Amino acid sequence: MTTAAPPGTNAPESGSGAPAAPGWLHRGVRAILTRRELLLVILLVVVLVWMTTLSYGGYLTGPYDPDYLSAALVDAVPLAMLALAELLVIVSGRGGIDLSIGAIVSLTGMVFGFAHGLWGWPVLAAIGLAILVGGLLGAVNGVLVAWLGFPALITTLATYYAYKSLAIVINDQKPISTPSIQSLYSMTEAVEIPLIGRNIPNVPLGVFTFLVPTVVLVWLLLARTTYGRRLFAIGTNDVAATWSGVHVAKTRLLAYVLAGVLAGVVAVYVTGQFASARPDAGTSGNGLALPAITIAVLGGVAITGGIGRVSGVLLAAVLITWLNAGILLLFEGNNGSQFQLLALGAVLVFCALLNAYTIRRYGGTR
Amino acid sequence: MTTTSPPTPTGRGLGRLLGRQGPRVIAPLVSGQEIVLIAVIVVLWLVLGWATPAFLTADSLRPLLIEVAPIALIGVGMTLVIVAGGIDVSVGSQMMVCGVITARLLVDAHVSLPVALLVAVAVGALMGAVNGVLIAWGRVHAIIITFGTLNLFQFVGRQIFGSQTVNGIPGTMDVFGRGDPGQTLGVPHSFLLTAVIAAAVWWYLRQTPGGRHFYAIGGDPLAAELAGIRVRRRVLLTYVITGALVGLAAVFTLAKGTTTLDQSIGAGQELAVIAAVIIGGTSIMGGRGSVLGTILGAVLVQTVSSGVTQLGWPSNLSDLFVGLFVIIAVGTDLLRQRARRRS
Repeated sequence: MTTAAPPGTNAPESGSGAPAAPGWLHRGVRAILTRRELLLVILLVVVLVWMTTLSYGGYLTGPYDPDYLSAALVDAVPLAMLALAELLVIVSGRGGIDLSIGAIVSLTGMVFGFAHGLWGWPVLAAIGLAILVGGLLGAVNGVLVAWLGFPALITTLATYYAYKSLAIVINDQKPISTPSIQSLYSMTEAVEIPLIGRNIPNVPLGVFTFLVPTVVLVWLLLARTTYGRRLFAIGTNDVAATWSGVHVAKTRLLAYVLAGVLAGVVAVYVTGQFASARPDAGTSGNGLALPAITIAVLGGVAITGGIGRVSGVLLAAVLITWLNAGILLLFEGNNGSQFQLLALGAVLVFCALLNAYTIRRYGGTR
Repeated sequence: MTTTSPPTPTGRGLGRLLGRQGPRVIAPLVSGQEIVLIAVIVVLWLVLGWATPAFLTADSLRPLLIEVAPIALIGVGMTLVIVAGGIDVSVGSQMMVCGVITARLLVDAHVSLPVALLVAVAVGALMGAVNGVLIAWGRVHAIIITFGTLNLFQFVGRQIFGSQTVNGIPGTMDVFGRGDPGQTLGVPHSFLLTAVIAAAVWWYLRQTPGGRHFYAIGGDPLAAELAGIRVRRRVLLTYVITGALVGLAAVFTLAKGTTTLDQSIGAGQELAVIAAVIIGGTSIMGGRGSVLGTILGAVLVQTVSSGVTQLGWPSNLSDLFVGLFVIIAVGTDLLRQRARRRS
């Protein structure tokens, strides 16, 4: 994050002495393609300007203003956290991917519902249990993929089936929404930020209690610890990593466990958001895994492993959330959610093609 | 821990080069996995027949075959895709598009069944072509592209639905339906047609150079390219065939349903199909697999889910067993691969 910024799109920088130096246009394109954050910021500005213009022109069914954008962040929290989980798993390489993450959210959400809602455990103990169960379910994936060498795609597809089925069967398809669970809804309320809160809109509490700590922890883990370096090493080339003394299986296993832990935390958040532990919380419709993978890929994570950054994933999650929020206002009724599908699919295909082109042309994003 | 030493990328090719492989290039007619599958299915049928006496009767097995047909049919195409080293998770959404277009044609435009069927197949092939072109020429991993087109196709399908159901699907569908017009000598037409198509693809994959090319591409696309195979066209072809078969399977699914079509058609089908293919012994890494195994895998998956309901267990429990079967199948595939590499 501190690498010297490339010239970017501004200032053509009079190339006085340098013969045949690449033109500013060429360098600009290169910067946009190889610096994913730059592209995302540009896209974010485009979306915001476009939607705000439409809003002032009266084409939207509601105001697209800072208050609305801030409220929309409620949906960004689980998406961004699961995308970070996918970041860990995909970066670990060898076709790493976790399709079961939505099902882990469902199953740990039900376990959390049992513990806090029915057995009357205190919140913190129940959260601890959710994290433990999430980590355990992730460990099943990790053992199969990292220790036994199962292909991640098909393994997590199978565990997706299994976890989803267990989550539905465990309470006979019924959600758990006892009063103690319903009281968790206050987690997602909007709060005023102290000191500066007067001038900016209220922000959903979950952003501070869930998203920010997760982002900081994952970033610290990846950028400031030995484990983070090892993870990128095995994702880039696990044979080379083995010969340099990295325990590949252990490192990769931990990535799946951490993804499960994150899913367990998301389960708590989603339970609060819906004021009930639902057996299909992470699997209804297209589930949560698909948007999470989309955001990770959009954020510049290479599906081949070894490349990916927290800042890119975070920007991508915000972009998708605010784009979806705008689309919802752009269309009447049910149509909005359908055009969200279109946007998600188009963005994913576009970014995947862009990633592939960038890798061929410039050797990948930085 | 010897199992954790990283397999070198060239391991498989090298092993094959030095390995025990005799003069035989083509696998035997029925592989070990298929015999095991047949045995498992027979045991399951016997157990279910013993637990619920109604199971082993024609009235119980015929619906099973009707349910198997669409999954097995798409599975035939998916076998090609996976053998050639790809995957297609958008088949469920493709089925939704084909299904709703067929239903609308039959209900609103009053076209005859053969025409509607042709349109369904053509639309499916077109969607497959979109996938194939993006994957082969965009050079992006198949799972990412088909995850994206899954959303796109679902958008298209829901737009055609217009957030309502299609009602009054006519009786001309009965030729593939559950009733008497839908069967010959007690065998449902949809399963019969599936078996014929599967046999044709099975022969094509085993006995023709074109069929063997898919295995070569799945084994090593670069080597296949250097050997003169037009890899991109072949990859495109696998997705087009899958799409076309999805179109036919959508017609089967319409015919086995009620006169009302809702938006849930095709939901989750991609998982059932991929599970059937993997349980059938096709390697997810590409280069190995057979159509016969896929059909058996589909029968096994369907046996499990109808067995679970007939035993009176919660129907959602069948997904758990399907997941376990997939893990077992992948495990045996890995063991076989290791044994081959060691020898």
